[in-house]
Amino acid sequence: MSEPIEGHLVHGAIWTIKELYTYPNEYLYWTVHIVIYPFLTGLVAGAFVLSSLYHVFGKNELRPVSKFALVFSLALLIMAPTPLLFHLTKPWRALNTMLTPHFYSAISAFIFVYLTYMSIVVAEVWFVFRPFIVQQAREKTGYLGLLYKVLTLGSYDVSERALALDHKISKILAAVGIPAAALLHGYVGFIFGSVKTVPLWKTPLMPFIFLMSAVISGLAICIATYIAVMTFKKTYICLTTVRSMGKTLTLFLIIAFLLESLDIVFHAYTAEEFWAILSEIIFHRFSVNILVLQWGLGMIVPLVLLLIPNAGLIRSFVASCLVVFGVFMMRWDVVIGGQSMSRSLAGFMKFKMPILPTSIDAFREGLIVVIFLLVMPFVLLYVFNKVLPVFRDIFTEEECEIHTKEISRKEAHT
Amino acid sequence: MSLSRRDFLRMGFLAVCGTVIPLGSLEILKPEAMASLVHPYSKRKRWAYVVDTTKCVGCGMCVKACKLENEIPFNADVQRTWVERYVQLNSGEVIIDSPRGARYGYTSNDPQGRAVEQDEIAKGFFVPKLCNHCEKPSCVQVCPVGATYATPDGVVLVDRKWCIGCGYCITNCPYFARFFHPVVNTADKCTFCYHRITKGLNPACVQACPFGVRKFGKLNDPDSEVFKIINTERVAVLKPEFGNEPHVFYIGLDHIVR
Amino acid sequence: MSHAWRPVAVVFGVILCMMFFRMLFKPSDFKAANGDYKYQYHRVKSEDDWKSFKVKHMGTEFCAECHPDKIEIVKGSGHSTVKCENCHAMFEPSKKGHEKVDLKATKQYLLDIGIDRSRELCKRCHAKISYRPQVVKMIDPNTHNQGIECVNCHDVHRTSFK
Repeated sequence: MSEPIEGHLVHGAIWTIKELYTYPNEYLYWTVHIVIYPFLTGLVAGAFVLSSLYHVFGKNELRPVSKFALVFSLALLIMAPTPLLFHLTKPWRALNTMLTPHFYSAISAFIFVYLTYMSIVVAEVWFVFRPFIVQQAREKTGYLGLLYKVLTLGSYDVSERALALDHKISKILAAVGIPAAALLHGYVGFIFGSVKTVPLWKTPLMPFIFLMSAVISGLAICIATYIAVMTFKKTYICLTTVRSMGKTLTLFLIIAFLLESLDIVFHAYTAEEFWAILSEIIFHRFSVNILVLQWGLGMIVPLVLLLIPNAGLIRSFVASCLVVFGVFMMRWDVVIGGQSMSRSLAGFMKFKMPILPTSIDAFREGLIVVIFLLVMPFVLLYVFNKVLPVFRDIFTEEECEIHTKEISRKEAHT
Repeated sequence: MSLSRRDFLRMGFLAVCGTVIPLGSLEILKPEAMASLVHPYSKRKRWAYVVDTTKCVGCGMCVKACKLENEIPFNADVQRTWVERYVQLNSGEVIIDSPRGARYGYTSNDPQGRAVEQDEIAKGFFVPKLCNHCEKPSCVQVCPVGATYATPDGVVLVDRKWCIGCGYCITNCPYFARFFHPVVNTADKCTFCYHRITKGLNPACVQACPFGVRKFGKLNDPDSEVFKIINTERVAVLKPEFGNEPHVFYIGLDHIVR
Repeated sequence: MSHAWRPVAVVFGVILCMMFFRMLFKPSDFKAANGDYKYQYHRVKSEDDWKSFKVKHMGTEFCAECHPDKIEIVKGSGHSTVKCENCHAMFEPSKKGHEKVDLKATKQYLLDIGIDRSRELCKRCHAKISYRPQVVKMIDPNTHNQGIECVNCHDVHRTSFK
């Protein structure tokens, strides 16, 4: 048969390698951006939960990281939907979801859930940093002064009563924010869980699996970033704070691991029609990804590192980085692995990420954009840190001692 | 025994509830409710399609006609309809392929590009595929903007001017009948040649088939050949377990067909 | 009024802006047809877009307008169920050529009509594949006069030898 000239490049053909029998129209249509999107939303949810631990659950030893986690979650939140814009073939029509939402679709509500959550986070940031904003608006001049003046929303009331109210409201917002964060991310899990054609995704456990991995990744990235920034700034780090975060991380890590393995065990035991191809994916084609990187390096190793008593800074840092990496691999394995088994259940597809932007498609779904998307939250955090005192709320050694004693007293009590 | 008004009312209320609820459960014993949970096809007067795989020789004329009729670039490796080949060997191995969607037809015995000896082959056949125009299309259900929809006569269409290109519908089609159009860059799929059937013509693939494999017509219409076949012969649909209620019916389907 | 109401006001402002935006840009004919929001929520004019798509395969009757003789011949042959366009509609630009009459200009006919003499075309139906239904005569292209075009010996319209 004469090979036709490559007249029109089909969307998906550049990065899909087909094996055995796949349907002729079958390509990897959801690729790396659908990996990054749940990864970033997951980080948002986790970081917000961390900041709420101080506000709502009275974990006073977490005060130094609470503001940082809140602002970081805002930075991540701003970047969360951008992978989708790169993913859409008609990005300028993205607002159609707002014009004519079709609520039978899991993704139509995204913009509403997102904006609701965004307003909660932004409001909390505003209430938490209000005294600082007001002070800066009074002192600074020029563009920066103007920015702070706008940020005050015209209210300069920093009386005792007003600040008490701020505190109360931010506590309420933090409390409301937890279910909202859970909703946002559980909902992302639902987007996948409700795709009935992909066997690996179609499970009611999906929202919970996503939620738990979201929490661990958010906690872990906050621990890692916090340790890195503080070390870079040569500031004293209260080990109690880090250990407290590590403890929460361990707890959620166990739940996440149990949920993920439960899912696989169930598939293996019920062994439906698709199990033949699914087991080929898990134990052969993605075995390094899933068994070694996602579960071994991403969950079991950090779990061991955190469970050994007296975790130091380096150990916590390494464990957190591994968890973040593991969760990224989990998103990758779910999205790419799930699609790489053909819907014909008789073939496979491989994903080859475009490195060089040789065409528009190769640019949109290529390495450069991926790096951009993963770096931007940190850039935003840097910018926010210039405007707001994100890292200023730190413990002195004495304060640290007090909290350490308080915790050990509590533990002895229970 | 004296009965206060309140007790009387309460007992009366309970008595009424107690009789109404069991009576309500009798509702399901009504003949029309008990009749059947299985209905073979849509109750509407809608378009349907029959594929007689026993007659298909795999010439691929339907694929070619479809591509030309619907302006899908001929060289692009996406198609609204395609023909699959199933070859089962004596060893029990099944080889499935559909080279270039079979738009150049099958001209030699080389499933998956492998040289297969004739005496190795237990059975082989061709299966044309296209969008099943489901009664409950899962692709339509998940469109976030209402850019794909079912018409009252049962055809599933895509609004090219409104589609945002998220690919959720493509992911949600069990048959992979959808793809991104290489030129328009929106989701695209078989329309049953909506521009033809609304003018009284047959879809291009039906017209192009020299062997009478593909048949097209209205359900619940006594004059329609398609309706007659579905009602009198043993037909099957692809992947009924997804609950989409596909409306392309197959004659001569085999369990190895995916 | 307490300062705490100010963010609430901002949120309401955003909501109002969104509603205004929606009022401006939502297509007026967007609706859930027949009350079916699940499957029929769409821009109604989109149906007309598809209805006004151009018909391209016009069928044998169209060709008969100018070539009634050929159509008669084919009708009486083994190729009676094969449409003219099956073989004569060209997807390869090099093979097109309905030279005497420009169909696009005179008849608004949109396909490229030409003659494909390659063995590949005939092999689509007539190459011997053991599991191909025995509804047509089949030959083994590897042993049957390799390298020669089918039309050298066969009259395709009459389905007989020349």
